[in-house]
Amino acid sequence: MSSALLESLQQLPFAVTIAQSEWLFPTLETLHVMALTAVVGTVLKIDLRLLGLTDRERPFSALARQVLPWTWGCFAMAAMTGLLMFAAKAVTYWADIPFRIKFGCIALAGINMAYFHLVGARDRASWDLGPAPWRAKLAGMTSVALWITVVAAGRWIGFTT
Amino acid sequence: MLGEFCDWLAGTPVSQAFQARGWFVPAVQTVHILAISFLSVALGMLSFELIVRRSLPTRDGVRRFAQVFWLSLGVLLATGVLLTVTEPVRELLSSVFRAKMILVMVLAAVVGWLQTRVRRRPGGLDLAARHDGAARVCGLLLLLLSVAIMTAGRWIAYV
Repeated sequence: MSSALLESLQQLPFAVTIAQSEWLFPTLETLHVMALTAVVGTVLKIDLRLLGLTDRERPFSALARQVLPWTWGCFAMAAMTGLLMFAAKAVTYWADIPFRIKFGCIALAGINMAYFHLVGARDRASWDLGPAPWRAKLAGMTSVALWITVVAAGRWIGFTT
Repeated sequence: MLGEFCDWLAGTPVSQAFQARGWFVPAVQTVHILAISFLSVALGMLSFELIVRRSLPTRDGVRRFAQVFWLSLGVLLATGVLLTVTEPVRELLSSVFRAKMILVMVLAAVVGWLQTRVRRRPGGLDLAARHDGAARVCGLLLLLLSVAIMTAGRWIAYV
């Protein structure tokens, strides 16, 4: 992303307001952390079921039906608050390595989720009540690793910006 | 008095060793946040059940929730102690931190009360028939407490 674009984003009235306010940024950060913990918690709940570590007695489809709407709702809130915070310090964030790692891992987690739903979960009916096959386990393991990295990188941003 | 204790704690070899490692605080905070993730989802799902369905889950449901809750709380306390030992002034002298600790104790008491109530009755409690309000109040209380605790946790850095 060009620095001119980042700077013009930072100069937008709403971005200036966030950057100058004493309480807006911390409030957005609080909402972002709440939403992100809910995203990570719900995703890990699904992943741990795939890995056969929790909720083994529950059908996978029932668990996914219960949990995934919360994941998407909270993801939307995390993305929105994240975008607002990014706009306030766009130049600083874009140059920050942990920020890029976090962003990259979220993108990879999205690809992993899409792959799982399109390929890994095609034969879901055959393992819905029992242990997941290795393809689904692999997707679950990848997801766990990526989301833990998202949290770690997100926390590191606070120490490097 | 507390200020002196914080200065003493910050000067102990353990605290000094933690402070000297730049990766220590973010790494412990990462584990802390992951534990919050598990706890908030367990609390959120239980609150949803109480507020929207207006019923307490079965004894088995509460047992599963309690396992996640107490395990996560244990991890949160352990990582919280490590963070406090590393940065005692930031934590112990903060009024927001103290408010957070009181709220955590209230939350633990509410969950303990809920667990005891359900344990006493085989098959759990169904408050839908007679006590719509009780289930709602309990769910709202859990939800508000968890939101207040997370808010306080983030604002320690700013107040």
